[in-house]
Amino acid sequence: MRFEVAASVAEAVRMLAAEPGTTRVLAGGTDVLVQLRSGLVEPDLVVDIKRIDGMREIRAEDGGFRIGAAVSGAELGEDAGVRALWPGVVEGMELIGSTQVQGRATLAGNLCNASPAADSVPAMVAADAVARVAGPAGERDVPVAQIPAGPGKTTLAKGEFIVSIFLPARPAGSADAYLRFIPRTEMDIAVCSAGVSLTIGGDGTCTAARVALGAVAPTVLLVPDAAAALIGSKLDDAALDALAAACSAAAKPIDDKRGTVAFRKKVAGVLARRAAVIAAERARG
Amino acid sequence: MSFDTRPAAFTVNGRQVEIEAAPTERLSHLLRERLGLTGTKVGCDAGDCGACTVLVDGMPQCACLMPAARVAGRQVTTVEGLASDGRLSALQAAFLRHGAAQCGICTPGMLMAAAALLSVNPRPAPAEAEAALGGVLCRCTGYRKIVAAVCDAWADAPRPAPVPAGRAVGAPVARLDGPPKVTGADVFGADRWPAGALWVHVIRSPHHHADFSFGDLAAWQAATPGVAAVFTAADIPGRNAFGVIPPFADQPALAVDAARFRGEAVALVALEPGAAEDFDATAFPVTWEELPAALDPEAAKSAPAIHPARPGNLLIRGLVRRGDPDAALAAAAHVAEGAIETAYVEHAYIEPEAGCAYMDGETLVIHTCTQAPHMDRDDTAVMLGLPPERVRIVATSTGGGFGSKLDISIQPLVGLVTLKTGRPARIVYTRGDSMRSTTKRHPARMRARIGTDAAGRVTGQVFDGDFNTGAYASWGPTVANRVPVHASGPYSVPNYRAEARAIHTNGPIAGAFRGFGVPQATIMQEVLYDQLAADAGIDRLAFRQLNALTDGESTVCGQRLSAVGIGACLAALEGPWSEALAWAADAPAGPVTRGVGIASCWYGCGNTALPNPSTIRIGVTAAGEVVLHQGAADIGQGANTVIAQIAADALGVALGAIRLVGPDTAFTPDAGKTSASRQTYVSGRAAEAAGRALRSAILRHANVAEGASLGFGQGTIVIDDGAARHVIDLAALAEGRDGYVFAAEETYDPPTTALDADGQGTPYAVYGYGAQIVELSVDTRLGTVKLHRITAAHDLGRVINPVLAEGQIEGGIAQGIGLALMEDYVPGRTENLHDYLIPTFGDVPEIHHILIEKPDPEGPFGAKGLGEHVLIPTAPAILNAIRHATGALVTRLPATPDRVLAAIRSKGA
Repeated sequence: MRFEVAASVAEAVRMLAAEPGTTRVLAGGTDVLVQLRSGLVEPDLVVDIKRIDGMREIRAEDGGFRIGAAVSGAELGEDAGVRALWPGVVEGMELIGSTQVQGRATLAGNLCNASPAADSVPAMVAADAVARVAGPAGERDVPVAQIPAGPGKTTLAKGEFIVSIFLPARPAGSADAYLRFIPRTEMDIAVCSAGVSLTIGGDGTCTAARVALGAVAPTVLLVPDAAAALIGSKLDDAALDALAAACSAAAKPIDDKRGTVAFRKKVAGVLARRAAVIAAERARG
Repeated sequence: MSFDTRPAAFTVNGRQVEIEAAPTERLSHLLRERLGLTGTKVGCDAGDCGACTVLVDGMPQCACLMPAARVAGRQVTTVEGLASDGRLSALQAAFLRHGAAQCGICTPGMLMAAAALLSVNPRPAPAEAEAALGGVLCRCTGYRKIVAAVCDAWADAPRPAPVPAGRAVGAPVARLDGPPKVTGADVFGADRWPAGALWVHVIRSPHHHADFSFGDLAAWQAATPGVAAVFTAADIPGRNAFGVIPPFADQPALAVDAARFRGEAVALVALEPGAAEDFDATAFPVTWEELPAALDPEAAKSAPAIHPARPGNLLIRGLVRRGDPDAALAAAAHVAEGAIETAYVEHAYIEPEAGCAYMDGETLVIHTCTQAPHMDRDDTAVMLGLPPERVRIVATSTGGGFGSKLDISIQPLVGLVTLKTGRPARIVYTRGDSMRSTTKRHPARMRARIGTDAAGRVTGQVFDGDFNTGAYASWGPTVANRVPVHASGPYSVPNYRAEARAIHTNGPIAGAFRGFGVPQATIMQEVLYDQLAADAGIDRLAFRQLNALTDGESTVCGQRLSAVGIGACLAALEGPWSEALAWAADAPAGPVTRGVGIASCWYGCGNTALPNPSTIRIGVTAAGEVVLHQGAADIGQGANTVIAQIAADALGVALGAIRLVGPDTAFTPDAGKTSASRQTYVSGRAAEAAGRALRSAILRHANVAEGASLGFGQGTIVIDDGAARHVIDLAALAEGRDGYVFAAEETYDPPTTALDADGQGTPYAVYGYGAQIVELSVDTRLGTVKLHRITAAHDLGRVINPVLAEGQIEGGIAQGIGLALMEDYVPGRTENLHDYLIPTFGDVPEIHHILIEKPDPEGPFGAKGLGEHVLIPTAPAILNAIRHATGALVTRLPATPDRVLAAIRSKGA
């Protein structure tokens, strides 16, 4: 195994593209180092991107925020601007691991680890976040929802890696929320999770919404029917019940020791409903 | 793998260091292996347990997740950097004062996470402390005392005054072995190794059941850099079978031709120092042929025998029978019947098994974490073909055990490598090694029927249980024998039949785990008691009081009891029970409902109807120093302190004047194993006898009557009988073979009798009792259970040390919570600490203790055992509280949210 520290995005791409074998990108390392240690992966090349300019920056852009790929959860949580605009994304990220892990774990890493249960991903998908991907053909912007391909797999091509995540601007009266379900009170992996982002107009009507579920399918699940249940409503019980029903119907979970299919489908609806209530409270200020 | 190395200069605890670090070398490895800073512990190597927490520029980080090269130019602080000029920090002192460190393996991580919090928030609220420390797991304490210590660190209270002679028993003294646990100086199994030690890697079966054969081992060894030697079963010079109960010894140290469970060891690779990091175990030449595996005990009964001499895969059957239970149930006014199933539970101590070995002349010396040094010695000697006196076991500090470190693990493996190569060797299990290969709590499938008369008095009970004992015997016979004796609970049951069977499967080996099957059986009995109380129209606490055993009554084994404490425990809970019921009745409207539950326990201390002596020695040196040879392994529960407290008062010396030696089979007599809640009682009784014998010898020497005070000074003992001072000049006395001028060694063995064919007899000489109330709420839409408060009343006979006793109660409750709500070990699926969940800070609620003292004449100063009792009532009380909150009984543990929700739904259907 070779280990390289890239000084620039171009250099990192060059290294990753030139390596014929397995590669891994190291930012916080909270997943990669564990995989290396346990022998789960034996990469031929590891490229450290943390020292590339801009990787550890949060930058205001077009009314939204661009989050560098090596920004840690702790750094994200300390950014008042991001927290005010996208509180649900921040709370999803902050649920990953302990304080000790928060100092290292990153949004981009959580996305690329491609666990169906990743805590930051449903909130990012609900936020319609966009990943900027660098590769041999230059840079391209990809909706976050299109990055995971299945458990442990991404759609990134040879030589590509994520350099930043963009959280867009949003109108007044908007907010988001993320909830996950775990049997333990902390330090656990989601059995089921839900991210809800919505906008409430001046008359109290929901004008826009996105709803995403985690841990109920091989990849994060965007549920348009659930969003449709909210849009145009005053977020009354009937609309929230319809949202919950749409989420339960859309969920395609597996049975395992952490929860049965029936349980996860039900909880998906309950969580999405509760997340929508929290997002609405935030949106109404 | 190989890497370029890069120079990294950084500061550790204020000291500048420069080191070449491979880019993926983890900071934890650098600190421990190369800088000798072994205060930083490695519990999981995956960021799950937080034991390796250090500060990097003041921020808490898992050193196992941090590339060493990334600390270049930064300030690293480890636990060794907390004390300054030999003076403990206020935080460290608070940990000792509150009893926040038990075994001490998580303590460095807890301290570092707390130090980071206190640097920005010197007087945190409990919730803030819980949030900051939530990434560090503890298996001993139940977390409450850690929270108390962190929140109280600002007070920097003065050190308590030393306890005067004769006042040690009952005093809340801080643990005597505590200071090294908070400075990082304590030595655990992985913390010391001889220079040049070979690193032992264990090749294990990836299958539940498989035949295997090796390729050309010599050629592979020659072709693989860093491999010093390879060993298989063919290299074992002695009998390749061990077992904690000699007649059942059936487990090979290295399997021969077939592996019977996933994780079974088949070969050892001894690697040169430094070669382990680059070693690729996947290239080891072994071929597996997977075979059908019997994993379910019901299916195993009709599957081919895993051990040919045990048809039907039945290891053993335990039975207790008294009166005519069938007739009693037929005539009963109320009968409750049910079934309960429990899961494999992993001990999940934060210290994986570890140790080292070297030759000292002709003696093989093994340093290791253990609960049973003498048993380790004897079994290791048999396997290695050595007489016992040629094996010496030095017990390191043990980072939790809970039963699993009673069994042999690394001892014969590391011993074999040293014996064969003549070189020192070391072995450190990974978290995966530890979880795959060591024992678990028995999964149980139980059925029971219990009947009462119209007044609610229990008239009869029938209990039947299958206990999945896994591939080898381990403690299966003990579980099968202990369960029928205890399945009645601490209640009067005149007509009774209980049968428990230990069934072999190809699952993980089930062995000893805090309670030996009694926690499972108690769940069965206590949930039926709630049903019976309801049927009889009696309050649930009152129903238990009506049926509780009293002095002079007989147990289901026909043993007439005295010093029965269950009545006092239940009486002490009357007030808290009324308050709890009122709290539950006061639940706000909505989907979250409240419930309260109660359950009792009793537990016989020591081996079941078998001898289990302990021997304790105390000596006085010519210099006047009192030395206690304390061979009872302290795995965090506090034997080093409790045995010393007992010995001090028996001898009449101040606790602070005692020096501890051991456990070490070369220097401490056999104090038996740390199991069955026997050390305070059995070894304590031996210590009491040794202390009194030594005192008598000294008084006799000076010809002074009993009642005089002893003062141990520089080369003298000063005896004051009120009338005169007598000075013994110790230098004038001859030293005995141990180098002592006075010495006493005493043995105590509980007076028990063998049980007859119906299980009648005196299985234990001393029992302890307890009862707990659980208050909780259930989110009936999600099935989540949130514990509100637990009130625990336990009869200790005599409280030797209240701080340590409370620590046992809180830690036992935390494990009971795990058993009830989340723990479920599945081989191949949960072999780490993120898929296998144990309770964290947020899972353990406020705990109130009520310590009852109903002295037992057999116990030292009246003391009874406690360590296992405390876990037993928690899980049934939780299930009873869930039923109170929802009307639904969960019958399969753990009561995960999906099962709680399913139970609620099926009740409504």
